Amino acid sequence: MVTQQPVAIVGMGVILPGAGSLAAYWDNLVSGVDAITEIPDRRRDSEFHGHAGVGGPDSTHGHRGGFVADTVDFDPIAFGIPPTDIGGMEPDQITALAAAVAAVDDAGGFDRLGDRAKVGVILGRGGYLSPGLVRFDQRVRGVRQITRTVRELVPSAGTETLSRLRSALLEPLGEFSAQSAIGLVPNLAASRVANRLDLLGPAYTVDAACASSLLAIDHAVNELTLRRCDVVLAGGVHHCHDDTLWSLFTQIGALSPSQQIRPLATSADGLLVGEGTAVIVLKRLDDARKADDRVYAVIRGCGTSSDGRGGSLLSPSTAGQALALRRAWAAAGIDPAAAGAIGLLEAHGTATKAGDTAELATIADVFGPPNGRRGVVGSVKSMIGHTLPTAGVAGLVKVALALHHRVLPPTLHCADPHPTLAATRFRTIGVAEDWDDDTPRRAAVNAFGFGGVNAHVVLDQGDTARRRPTRVSEPERVLRIAARSADELRRLLDQPAESAPVGDGPFRIGIVGPTEEKLAVARKVAAKVAREGTAWHGAKDIWCTADPLLHAPGARTAFLFPGLEGDTAPRYGDVARHFGLRNPAWSNASVLDRADSATGVGLLLDAALRRIGVTADALAGHSVGEWTAMQAAGMYSPAPTTELLLRYWPGGFALPDCEYLVLGCAVTTAEDMAAGLDIAISHDNAPHQSIVCGHADDMARLAENCRDRHVLVRRLAFRSGFHTPFVVPRLAPFERLVGELDLRPATIPVWSATTVGPYPTDPGEVRALYLAHLRQRVRFRELVETMYTAGFRVFVQAGAGQLGSFVGDTLGDACHLVVGAVSDVRTGLDQLRRVATALWVEGARPKFEALEPRRVRLDTSSTLMSVPDDARQLLEPAREDLPAGVSADVVAEFTALLDETRRSAAGVVAALSVQTVHQDLRVSLPDLPFLRDHRFFRQRDGWPDESDYRPVVPATTLVELACRRVEAAWPGVRAVAVRGAEFTRWLVADPASTVEVSMTRRGNDVEVTIGPFARLVVEVGRDFPPAGQVPTSSRPERTPPLSAAEIYSERQMFHGPAYQGLSALLGIGAGHIRGELVVPAAPGALLDNVGQLLGCWMMATFDDRLLAFPRSIDRITWYEREPGPGTKVDCVAEISTPLPELIVMTASLARDGRLIARIDGWQDIRFACDRREHRAYAFPDRHYLSTVDEDGMTSVVDNWVSPAAREFYAGVYLSGIERARWEKCPPRERRGWLLRRIAIKDAVRVRIADMGVTGVYPAEILVADDEVSVSGLHGRVLPRLAVRTAQAGEVAVAQACWNDERPQESRLRSQLATAVRRNR
Amino acid sequence: MSIEACVTDDVLGTVSELLAPLVGDLDVLDIQITRDTAFHEDLGLESIDLVTFAGILAEHYGPDVDLAEFLSQKDLDEVIELRIGDITDFVAKRLAERG
Repeated sequence: MVTQQPVAIVGMGVILPGAGSLAAYWDNLVSGVDAITEIPDRRRDSEFHGHAGVGGPDSTHGHRGGFVADTVDFDPIAFGIPPTDIGGMEPDQITALAAAVAAVDDAGGFDRLGDRAKVGVILGRGGYLSPGLVRFDQRVRGVRQITRTVRELVPSAGTETLSRLRSALLEPLGEFSAQSAIGLVPNLAASRVANRLDLLGPAYTVDAACASSLLAIDHAVNELTLRRCDVVLAGGVHHCHDDTLWSLFTQIGALSPSQQIRPLATSADGLLVGEGTAVIVLKRLDDARKADDRVYAVIRGCGTSSDGRGGSLLSPSTAGQALALRRAWAAAGIDPAAAGAIGLLEAHGTATKAGDTAELATIADVFGPPNGRRGVVGSVKSMIGHTLPTAGVAGLVKVALALHHRVLPPTLHCADPHPTLAATRFRTIGVAEDWDDDTPRRAAVNAFGFGGVNAHVVLDQGDTARRRPTRVSEPERVLRIAARSADELRRLLDQPAESAPVGDGPFRIGIVGPTEEKLAVARKVAAKVAREGTAWHGAKDIWCTADPLLHAPGARTAFLFPGLEGDTAPRYGDVARHFGLRNPAWSNASVLDRADSATGVGLLLDAALRRIGVTADALAGHSVGEWTAMQAAGMYSPAPTTELLLRYWPGGFALPDCEYLVLGCAVTTAEDMAAGLDIAISHDNAPHQSIVCGHADDMARLAENCRDRHVLVRRLAFRSGFHTPFVVPRLAPFERLVGELDLRPATIPVWSATTVGPYPTDPGEVRALYLAHLRQRVRFRELVETMYTAGFRVFVQAGAGQLGSFVGDTLGDACHLVVGAVSDVRTGLDQLRRVATALWVEGARPKFEALEPRRVRLDTSSTLMSVPDDARQLLEPAREDLPAGVSADVVAEFTALLDETRRSAAGVVAALSVQTVHQDLRVSLPDLPFLRDHRFFRQRDGWPDESDYRPVVPATTLVELACRRVEAAWPGVRAVAVRGAEFTRWLVADPASTVEVSMTRRGNDVEVTIGPFARLVVEVGRDFPPAGQVPTSSRPERTPPLSAAEIYSERQMFHGPAYQGLSALLGIGAGHIRGELVVPAAPGALLDNVGQLLGCWMMATFDDRLLAFPRSIDRITWYEREPGPGTKVDCVAEISTPLPELIVMTASLARDGRLIARIDGWQDIRFACDRREHRAYAFPDRHYLSTVDEDGMTSVVDNWVSPAAREFYAGVYLSGIERARWEKCPPRERRGWLLRRIAIKDAVRVRIADMGVTGVYPAEILVADDEVSVSGLHGRVLPRLAVRTAQAGEVAVAQACWNDERPQESRLRSQLATAVRRNR
Repeated sequence: MSIEACVTDDVLGTVSELLAPLVGDLDVLDIQITRDTAFHEDLGLESIDLVTFAGILAEHYGPDVDLAEFLSQKDLDEVIELRIGDITDFVAKRLAERG
């Protein structure tokens, strides 16, 4: 006889009641979770379940059991099973595959299985009426049975009705395919696992009723002992809560009348049915040790037997059971009755009288009487029910985990142990206990089947050294919050919800894996973003903004594909598996390998990004990455590299032996240093990085030059001569290759870093560019700048390495987002989760759900057939509203007509309730002339360029326009309130534009969107709501410092006559202001004046952040029609400043002592602007933004922080001509460019003031691009002046000299140094 | 505390301050820069940021504090794993060489 080899359990996976994973199962076992529940509603049939007493077989008293969840954590696509095939399969094939994959993962992954030719799959499975078969039988036999019965009962039904009945019965069963039929063959539970995991050992199911899975493990041990297999996946499946099975147990009296399963208890009265799957990975212990596997437990011996004639089919034989036990212990070579032989016994424990009594007798017999310290006996059936074929392995997994964790798990409902227990050497426990060293770390499992088939397994503890906790890796949660205001964002962040994005609005934050620590940082981030108006990108896995990049009109997204990068090891395998995409290899071995790797991973990420709803408006690449971009855009699909090499490089692939040096300097410096050397600049990567290429000796000299100039230099790990003339002699094969490329039009624009523009469409030109790209410089920095100017704001790096940092270096603090789609440090899906979060924050709509682990629905129910609603009255007698004697055809037609009418009517009603109207709004000064009185900036009288004044549509005028348009679109309705108004962007009136206004009505709400500028909800009604009391209060107040007239003359408010309504400022307090106004003529001017009143309070209360603009209004309620121009209105505004950058107002408007309107939650955002800056803004002809020293030297500091504030000061200082240049300026140079112009213009104005020329507006001075000469604009005459300027970071200085003066360069530099120091 | 330790300590403070424009929000992130703080892993800086930082260091201390030269002697892995302590040691050494 062959001795059984010790076999190691190295991995386990379970899907059991209450436990979708191994970790959950162990948690339940230790904490004693009773996973028995009521039968789920979906499976319950009140005509069958829960009937008192025992009736016929067509009902049962049973209504409780162990049920697995409706879904399983398993991705069928990753294993090549189309989701459409799942419906037709037996559910146990999905659970078997899912549990097998989980077990293999638990064992360390597929790579640890070794030779797949020697991996087998053996699963216990019963031949019961399984759900797949039941559904198939309904199709095959059930439909025929019902139609036959109906024909017998209702002979008048006729062929057509019966045919309709047949269709109605079949319809809910879904499509049928031959593929589904094959999915019903019982052995597929095992063989589909072998098929999908490509295992070549034997794969089969065994049926030994409730002993099946231990029999399967016995087979597995034999396969391993005989060395026919090196690994076996063994276990059991049972997903079959079929009515026949419940009925069978009811009929034989085995189903618990009390509906509680109490194994080994005196009060045990029967079993409850469970379901589940468990699979374990088995290896010979020697092999497991060699492979350094974690060993949960070691199977020492298996024993099997039958009762023979000893028992009846229903009552077990103690002798037969004892035989199996003794055989197992003999195989293990241990005496079961010896002291210290066993610490834990997992009993079969069906909780039936006969079963438990026989089993305890067997136990007493085999293990002997009490002998020292008692071991523990129990049964997991008390928690999950009797899982029949799976029962043995469910118990074995429990025992293996118990040995591994050294914890003795409890058995439920056994407060009154069976009397026979006293005669055994075991005790039961109700709560978990430590498995201390005094209790032997050996265990055994029983499983006894109907008809007297018995199995027993003896296990030892595994290798203690390799003990490690089991752990589930849950996907990281992403917390997303959108809010209409910084305040709301902070509020929501203080109470983060568990799921789905919260709220709506431009203030957004996304946190990946939000721990308490990250949330604390996130609160500080949100405050900073609100305060400074800048975005936060990625540090601490947080992204946050107050103004999403992609909400701007014309803002676009690009994917950037890296070229050959340094030695990275990106993690993307999980991405390929998750999306069922090809998993490309990664190798840094040679230039060709690097190129193949970069392209393969780039294309994978491109496809994955699209799957998660992240799409690009254009693609670009760096070096080889440009080819990836072309392929991603479908311009060509290359043959495999090996084929290309054979075809075009039959003599071997060779490249010039040129080195590359990466220099930490701009391309101009690199050119300087390379002067006179045979060196080419191959890459202009970024302002701080260039790459040069050449032969070794020239490169050595260049490296010297670098050291002299303190330039960082580093040698690349590979050689070639691409992107330089050095490669030209080697281009012939490439020319043949590109000549034969099958080029197709790009499906998405690809930008070239050779031409710094989109690829041509003509194939000839594409071929030429392909070759030019090989020998010409990669102008990546210029490409990024040009793309930025073209509106690209979001750059997703589709590959490994540092490409994104080039973008960041090039764009500086110009608003943009760079995010990498793959990383070396975290899994691919985790990194994509970050991409999705970053893009969501910036206004995109990624599909986060596509990143979630796929769950597959499991339908293990076998419910009765049912017909769809429209067939429910098929056999009802004809309708009474038809005269008698009408033929069935006419009745049918009439009924059909009625149905059709009902359906159409419902459609019309539904359509009426939602209506959308699109209109154009023409925004220009001729169309809206009153906007001449709502201009931000002042210019010289008669200034010809209207855009330099920046006329904009006030927020309140947008509200007014929306209300009037709604009233015109739905005649007869009246706008009675506005809520949720958000103003996202200024709507400028010059240059003129046409804006789309869309209005969607749902009941009494009309959602109005005015282009990307504003959105609000207008509430309509026939009558105004009743007005409340005019609020009164007697808070302390003082007289406002300025009168209403002075507010305008001092230009504290910039408004012209059509918007000037403040007539008296009555009083001002710490949190309020009262005033009187006369309604001006311009539309929306009344509410604008309320905003002006808020401005007056702010100007009187603060010394900084004096610029404020409306951002949102929670609600405006009208109690009567808006009063016409000339009406006197009293206004009281209550004001708070919850944050320094935010002002919130509640205001009431009254006329002759009655309330006419109320405004709630009006929010203004404040921008950096102190008194001095405000003076320069209000009177730019008289004041400077710069400070001026005694020599007339100016210095200006940009403390404006937010781009919006900076843009404002640009508006004060720049003319239209200069604004156009500013727009073209590379983004990271913009701040300095503007600062220098401000300093120069102020210096010029200072200098000419000496001559008595004053009252010059900054826009009148045009600074030449050389920043040396200046000229007058639109008729302004300037003397001949030379200017000098210098700038560092946020500080610029300037001086204007007469042409004959000697410029004081050193003074200028020291002035700059002083100014910089002062500012720090 | 030895004089040398004093110097390094002071350098650490200065280097931390000089890093602020690159890293930005140390206070928000609650990062205390120590000798053990890693350039790439902790501060999220890339090698191109080292170029910028080299410029900042030279501007502050003078051209002989030449981080570029220091880094040129290191291979890429060492650069990636650079810690603030490496930089402060280098700066302190250069300052000491001035006598």
